[in-house]
Amino acid sequence: MAFGTGQTAHDRVPSSFKPGEFRQLRQFRRLFGRVRITPMVVFWTLILFILVIPISLFLLVAFSPRLLGQGSQWFTLSSFTPVFSGAYGKALFHSLMLGICAGVGAAAIALSMAWLVLRTNTPARFLWNSTIFALFLAPSYLIALGWQRLFEERGVLEIMGLHVEPIRNLLYGPVGICLVLMVKGTPFAYLVIANAMRGLGEEFEQAVRVHGGSRFEAFKVMANLLTPSLFSAMAIVFAEAISDFGVANTLSNVAHFPVATYQLYQGINSIPVNFPVSAATSIALLSLVVIAILAQNRALRGRSFRTLSGRTRPATMMKLSLFGKISTSTYIIGLLVVMLGIPVFGAVSASMLEGLGSLLSNYSINFSNYSRVFHSRFLLNPLIYSTEMSLIAATIAVALAAIASKVLTATKPSKSKRFVDFFLLAAVALPGIVFAIGYIFTYNLKFINDIGLHLYGTSILLAIAYSANALPSTSRSLVGNMGQIQESMMDAARVHGSSGARAWIDVTMPLIARPLLIAWLLTFSGTLLELPVSELLYPPGSPPVAVGIEISLAGFDYGGGTAIEILSILWALLVVAIAFFLFNRFAPPGWKRLGNLR
Amino acid sequence: MSLESTVNAERVVITGATKRYGELAALDDFDLTIEPGTFTVLLGPSGSGKSTLIRSMAGIERLDSGTIYFGDREIAGSGLHTAPEKRDLAMVFQDYALWPHMTAQENVEYALKRRNLDTSESNRRVLEALDRVGLSSKGANYPFQLSGGEQQRVALARAVVGRPSLLLFDEPLSNLDADLRERLRVEIATLTREIGATACYITHDQSEAFALADNIGVLRSGKLQQIAQPEEIYRNPANRFVAAFTGTSGSFVGQVDSLSESRAIVALGKVNIECRSNQLLAVGDSVEVLIRPSATSFTDSGTSALPAIVLDVAYRGRGYEHVVECEFGTISSVFATQSVARGSKVQIFIDPENCLAFPTQG
Repeated sequence: MAFGTGQTAHDRVPSSFKPGEFRQLRQFRRLFGRVRITPMVVFWTLILFILVIPISLFLLVAFSPRLLGQGSQWFTLSSFTPVFSGAYGKALFHSLMLGICAGVGAAAIALSMAWLVLRTNTPARFLWNSTIFALFLAPSYLIALGWQRLFEERGVLEIMGLHVEPIRNLLYGPVGICLVLMVKGTPFAYLVIANAMRGLGEEFEQAVRVHGGSRFEAFKVMANLLTPSLFSAMAIVFAEAISDFGVANTLSNVAHFPVATYQLYQGINSIPVNFPVSAATSIALLSLVVIAILAQNRALRGRSFRTLSGRTRPATMMKLSLFGKISTSTYIIGLLVVMLGIPVFGAVSASMLEGLGSLLSNYSINFSNYSRVFHSRFLLNPLIYSTEMSLIAATIAVALAAIASKVLTATKPSKSKRFVDFFLLAAVALPGIVFAIGYIFTYNLKFINDIGLHLYGTSILLAIAYSANALPSTSRSLVGNMGQIQESMMDAARVHGSSGARAWIDVTMPLIARPLLIAWLLTFSGTLLELPVSELLYPPGSPPVAVGIEISLAGFDYGGGTAIEILSILWALLVVAIAFFLFNRFAPPGWKRLGNLR
Repeated sequence: MSLESTVNAERVVITGATKRYGELAALDDFDLTIEPGTFTVLLGPSGSGKSTLIRSMAGIERLDSGTIYFGDREIAGSGLHTAPEKRDLAMVFQDYALWPHMTAQENVEYALKRRNLDTSESNRRVLEALDRVGLSSKGANYPFQLSGGEQQRVALARAVVGRPSLLLFDEPLSNLDADLRERLRVEIATLTREIGATACYITHDQSEAFALADNIGVLRSGKLQQIAQPEEIYRNPANRFVAAFTGTSGSFVGQVDSLSESRAIVALGKVNIECRSNQLLAVGDSVEVLIRPSATSFTDSGTSALPAIVLDVAYRGRGYEHVVECEFGTISSVFATQSVARGSKVQIFIDPENCLAFPTQG
């Protein structure tokens, strides 16, 4: 039968080969005959090498040290013994407690804010969205450092002559650590709860009232409908809090209140490194996150209310009295001051105080710290280096995340969908510090070096680790948007003459252009200021900006360190502003409308 | 304004097509031939496999086994799956599938990319197609600025502008209201025949199928039950399913009293009614009598008339449709130019020509 027009040899699967011919070719084809180098094959290969293998090998060593040359036993659980006792056990318990407190606290704040912003006409609600975005951009260590600079001994407030010791005692302990973790977790909790509340039209409330229910009963129904999002918010903040390394490395370290991630960091810096125990601790930490997610799923079983439909009517705003407006605005502004105002004031004031951190008694306010940053390659180079790394990592992560989210939103169930789903979910739960240690372990293995992969200590490995670390959360952030694209739109492009790749470029990309841009910017900003992977994987002599700040602070150059902090954040904001400007200026009109369209 | 007819319509031959989703066979050893230039409607309920079939023809789904030929070209077969873009077809989707970031004109223009036309010819054809569906003034509008009917018109223009040899319609009217459905149905019928392409249209709506088709294929559980011209399907359905799915106003169970050529006298209690049957029946067999809506009318008397009581009456403009209840069940769509009050005792005449007897199942 002849091939018809439009058919290629690739369309037909080879049937068989003559016996005895091309033995090697036959063996090769037996193995790879059905594999073509398609974008999906490249995608899966990358996922395997940057995500699955490094993490799996590292976690495996907890059970089988000998398999990976780290001990004499093929299978043992002894690596777990120290994890639940002594310093490790104490740190793990601290992490658990902090996670619970931060989760509950952040969900409570987020619930109140979602109600005030979405359901009332309180005047201060317009300040909230920009605060949320700023908190998303600011890593936890920067928030912690802002507080520290203000309240530490000979800190900004003491230089101003204020007596802050009681607050310092509170801050430098579980209360302060929990506060910072709660602040950092609030944007995540807010997004989850606010999204649920947006979908909750007023018809539910009205239905209670017209059937004889009181205002309080209507509120109970609303609260019930919001329960799934409250559980989700708590689980997310819990997972974020116990995975956090920024606060662990700053406030928690200074306060001598050890948490699991810092204990892991110390373990990896001890000599000789005990990888099996580090892996066991990582598994314990990962288990806590997984337990939180499972508990959330269990709690939500049968309670996932589908409240959003085409008939949902937006809820009307509650009109507050003058007293209501004043009290709610005071509450919002108070929160803003605590969450963002104090850390920003701490960082900005510290960056402008010449001599902060030294034992001098004369301090002056000027821009000399900034001037030093621009004139010192030790201070400026980390920012330049991090910018380069972030550009590369954000681009790779977003490209892979777009494919991953497409796989995840495919309507047909498939093995690849389940596989991506499992690994991305597991990787989202994976603390950055565990991820970094996994990379150290895997890329120092003998057989990895034997096959010619000498990546440890190079910028290439750092870029790969940044990309892989950002991939899970970036993919998750794109899933919602990708899921909104009706499959028939891609089908329509295919049947009207476009290849799969062409249809992707012509249809999918424009439809998710804005979410892609936002994902890229969030990944760029997150990577620019990323700490745990930077700390453990930076090439000698090329510290990224987070490490540069650490080095400055360790050398008591508090002014210089905070000046780089401020400049890094301003630089991230500038990139965000430029990107949005370019998008709004040059993107085709149809692309900009997206979000409202289906 | 009519579109130039330069299409080289192709015969579509599907043989042994099978497609399974887990345990469920969406298509089960399915055979179908569509003659070039004809308009074939595939009619079936949800889950009958019609969507899978049309998507397999489009190349969006991959068959597990079986072959599909467009003319002399094998486009799906053992180890062969020609990509959708290489099949030279166009499709109108149930949900329109317009690209929201493109204007109506850009949506239509997109389907011409594969033709590699120069800009002026491309523009001319796009404007011609938009004009043909009455949207020449709305080319610059985005889909969200168009009504549902207008969006589907753009989708129709997109499908015909490239003059494909095969046009596929995936329940294109099911999201529209009744008035729009009728208007767009006429446009689809005329436009498709104007360009002369082979057309395959799937629907679960029998009135849509009868109005559009040169041939109707009735599907059930992944198998083709019957394919024939609409009149043949209506008059001589191959089995009870085809008869029931192509429109009845009621059914009764009775016993064959006597047989003559293609007629059967069926005893319903004390009343005998005459029916047609193309099935193998014997006197004494239990049969189900399916009554077409056109078979019923009110009568004053008659030995084969069924006594009944009017349950409901609905005004339909041309007259009234009544729902009546008799001893053996309910009959709907009994038409009369004058209304009969609810609760009235009436006699129903059943025309043997539009009354079909099938052996009872089980």
